[in-house]
Amino acid sequence: MNTTSGLGASVRAVMRRAIKAYRDCPDMVAYLQRHLDRMNEPLRVAIAGQVKAGKSTLLNALVGEEIAATDAGECTRAVTWYRAAETPRVTLHPSDAPPRQLPIDRRDGALRMDLGTDRVDRVVVDWPSQHLRTMTLIDTPGLQSISAEISARTAGFLSGDEEPAEADAVIYLMRHLHSSNVRFLESFYDRGIARATPVNTIAVLSRADEIGAGRVDALMSARRIARRYGADEKLRSLCQTVVPVSGLLAQAGRTMRQAEFAAFLELVRARRSDVEAALLSADRFARYDGLEPDVCVDLLHRFGLSGVRLAVTLVRQGFDGAPKLAAELVRRSGLDELREVLTAQFTARAELLKARSALLALDVVLSRAVRPETQALVVEVERIVAGAHEFAELRLLSSLRLGSVKLPADVLTEAERLLGGLGVGSTTRLGLGVHATMAEQRNAALDALSRWRRRLENPLSSLALTDASRIVIRSCEGLLAEFAD
Amino acid sequence: MSVPAAIEVVDLALQAALAYGRADFGARLRQTRRRLTEDGVRVLVVGEFKQGKSHLVNALLNASVCPIDDDIATTVPTIVRYGEEPAAVVVHEYGGEAPAESKPVPVDRLADYVCDPGNRRGVSYAEVGVPRTLLAGGLVVVDTPSVGGLASMRGAATIAALPLADAVVFVSDAGSEFTAPELDFLRHAAQVCPNIICALTKIDLYPHWRRIAEIDRRHLANAELEAEIVPVSSTLRLHAVRTNDHMLNTESGFPVLIGHLRDRIAGQAGQLACRAAAQDVLAVTEQLTTTMRAQLSAYQGGDASAELIRELELAQLRADRLRERSARWQQTLSDGIADLISDIEYDLRDRMRQIGRDAEREIDQADPVAMEDQFAAWLQQQVSGAASANFVWAMDRGRWLADQVADHFAEDGDKVLPDLRDVDFARMTGSIDAIVMPRNEKLKLGNKLILGMRGGYGGTLMFGMAGTLVGMALLNPFSIAAGLLLGGRTVREERKRLVQRRQMEAKSAVRRHLDDVVFQLGKESRDMLREVQRTLRNHFTGHAEELQRSVNDSLQAAQNALRANKEECKRAIADLQAELARIAALEDRARDLTAGPQLVLSEVAR
Repeated sequence: MNTTSGLGASVRAVMRRAIKAYRDCPDMVAYLQRHLDRMNEPLRVAIAGQVKAGKSTLLNALVGEEIAATDAGECTRAVTWYRAAETPRVTLHPSDAPPRQLPIDRRDGALRMDLGTDRVDRVVVDWPSQHLRTMTLIDTPGLQSISAEISARTAGFLSGDEEPAEADAVIYLMRHLHSSNVRFLESFYDRGIARATPVNTIAVLSRADEIGAGRVDALMSARRIARRYGADEKLRSLCQTVVPVSGLLAQAGRTMRQAEFAAFLELVRARRSDVEAALLSADRFARYDGLEPDVCVDLLHRFGLSGVRLAVTLVRQGFDGAPKLAAELVRRSGLDELREVLTAQFTARAELLKARSALLALDVVLSRAVRPETQALVVEVERIVAGAHEFAELRLLSSLRLGSVKLPADVLTEAERLLGGLGVGSTTRLGLGVHATMAEQRNAALDALSRWRRRLENPLSSLALTDASRIVIRSCEGLLAEFAD
Repeated sequence: MSVPAAIEVVDLALQAALAYGRADFGARLRQTRRRLTEDGVRVLVVGEFKQGKSHLVNALLNASVCPIDDDIATTVPTIVRYGEEPAAVVVHEYGGEAPAESKPVPVDRLADYVCDPGNRRGVSYAEVGVPRTLLAGGLVVVDTPSVGGLASMRGAATIAALPLADAVVFVSDAGSEFTAPELDFLRHAAQVCPNIICALTKIDLYPHWRRIAEIDRRHLANAELEAEIVPVSSTLRLHAVRTNDHMLNTESGFPVLIGHLRDRIAGQAGQLACRAAAQDVLAVTEQLTTTMRAQLSAYQGGDASAELIRELELAQLRADRLRERSARWQQTLSDGIADLISDIEYDLRDRMRQIGRDAEREIDQADPVAMEDQFAAWLQQQVSGAASANFVWAMDRGRWLADQVADHFAEDGDKVLPDLRDVDFARMTGSIDAIVMPRNEKLKLGNKLILGMRGGYGGTLMFGMAGTLVGMALLNPFSIAAGLLLGGRTVREERKRLVQRRQMEAKSAVRRHLDDVVFQLGKESRDMLREVQRTLRNHFTGHAEELQRSVNDSLQAAQNALRANKEECKRAIADLQAELARIAALEDRARDLTAGPQLVLSEVAR
């Protein structure tokens, strides 16, 4: 499946031709150039969701540093980009004024930005972090905010009516499901190229530690709920998968300090009934006299009440070192799972998703400014879209997910897997373990190939199945070609 | 003073009215009595998905009446009231004329009925009785399914139920400040139900709840909503009750909430009910006294007869004025209702037309087959949102009209407003059917083949015939290729044509549906407004008739008195004085009813 680079090259080539064709029109050139440059940058992933869904917290957890400010009240007021760079820098882009630099002012690690009174288009944070190298993360203000202007700005950013969206992929955070969540996901549908693909969206059931009144087993409940959502027809047609994540726990785990571990240890050593009484409510814990008051407040702020409860339980169970406890907290938070899904769905497909964004942009230009000399480009774009097997895969995947192509249940699961619905790695596609040998993979691929050939040739197969079979067979052949190298 | 005392006073007044042969007061007093005995104080617990509504009800009553789950949400309303023994009933309503059917179920199995995703059993609501002192005073707590946004079906149904409630407990957790849909809902709710308490739940879990409460207070102030924010924790309350821990109970915030419900809401509702009852009783006694005073002065004769004549003249004047006014208030009422009906109908049509335009735009953008379900749901939401907004407006205007009509009677000192609660508002938004989308015809393979062949046949034949001229067979490669090409084109065109046809059909289905909705809702809102009119007319006609009757009685008494002899006079005077004393005592008791509650309030303040 190394054809993606080929796809990237042909998309770049057609973009360059388009720039040449429109050279007399500086606006178009700038627009296309921006999208061409974008193909060389890391994938842009937006983190979106309702007010207080925990977007900034999750961003911090993914970066592994508390750089985005978080607060009990509504906090993020402007679309903020976090990009990898050598030196830290914060740039403010007002809507109607040239960009200007902001001083870097960190309080407790978090960046404080004074946005002033201008209407802010966005803030770009350049930050030296290896976790930002593969993905540029975009933090967005909450939807459904009482401040209607903020909400509108986010909605506009994510699903501009005409222009292709600024982000290549979206992590959509939701607390418990809610009709307006679904409506927003629907609006993220795009037109053209890979029409209406749920493939560039992942839903995250956020603040998972708070489900069920913050019991220690809250995350298990969250997993169950996420599974139910994942199977929900409506949601399936809107996003790839639903992952439960507790951003707070993940953030705290990834940035845990020795002093915090010491505090937990002290809690475990104190009289159990005292500690249990203190852990009844956040207020009581803040008043707990076995620790310094600042320490209690700090623990609550960083871990949340359910996080403190979980950490104490884990230390009791024998996670007796700060690194061990931190790792377990991160594991339980669901962050690892999210990272895996991100790698499988976004990073491995980055080139394809970026190519898609670029073609969308080109499509807009070509359909708006029709010229005789651009007709050839229209044909070329159509050729790329029709010819690239990756797009065919994406299209079929999305129609399977949308339910517009109906297959029997067992066939459906296999088709989705082979098409890369669970991840584009060869072992994932074949449903084998990570350590499967080349020979095993080859055999599995051959098996799948013959199975799907039979489906194609079976005169009783429905039209939908034979159409799907053709594409799946090409995916299988692609896999086999990889092993032949 | 309490509701039972009020009932007693109303009973006495009823006896007195019957004893004096004024059966016309009977109906009014009986209605007053019914309102006192039957109307509990209804508290609706509403809020968004998963904010802890059921948990709050359980903690409030210290009983697990409403099932709670991490995931599954309540799907039907649960009405919790006082009962000697714990018992639960589920009620199926079939709509229209069919009677509701209720079925007892074990309390611990209630979850199967009220937390059933999709509500397969078709339960309309559940009723639970529990022996709790908090409920003994007539407090009724209703746990509702989540609102899910004002525009949803549920939201519309909840709004429609609000006018029947004495208070609303709006539940929102301390995890985040109010969202825009929540505030929107509060704004609408405040228009139809003046008593709103915002319960900030789960404060045990969120260390920053004080900040959130403060932010929420600011939001409420900015929206100019008068609602108290009460921070509570259901978990702490249940734990406190289990372990009998008073400190913890205080920390849970529930004593404050209960205080609000008991003193302010129940107290206020009781106070209102008592005041209304006292007013009704006083209106009756006043007229009885007027008549008897007139009789008394007639019998006493002498100096009093000059007074009597003046009073009689006055009474006559009042009766005349009343008749005059009766024409005026009837005019106000019928004009007002006519205006109201046309305004409300216009508003409804206007909203529907807007929805229709939006819907056509949506349809133009895509093939209706691809979005059928979502589209139907979207349309349903839009329609119910518009219907509920229209309904709130109708309610508002209805109240205003009642006030206008009552102004005509204000000269008599007692502006008695009718209770519009007897009008069945809930009926209005309950019955919007879902749209029936046209059965879409898809291009099947068979059709495609035939179509393709039709086009292809022509192509083959044409080129084949041309070919024969230059000496080729009818079926030559060129003619076949031409056939395939033309065939393909025909199929494509047919597909495009089908999409266009589907769009046309979808549009006309939407138009038909909206027409139906306007027709159906228009009929219902007209019926509702007519009922408002009837209620108002009966109320004010009754009032006018009573006044008229009192005047007539006085006149009659005066004439009798002039005819009576000395002995009869003496006896009649003694009788009347005794009666007047009795009625004065009744009046005192009725006045006590209105004075009582202030005493209670000052006690609370202390």
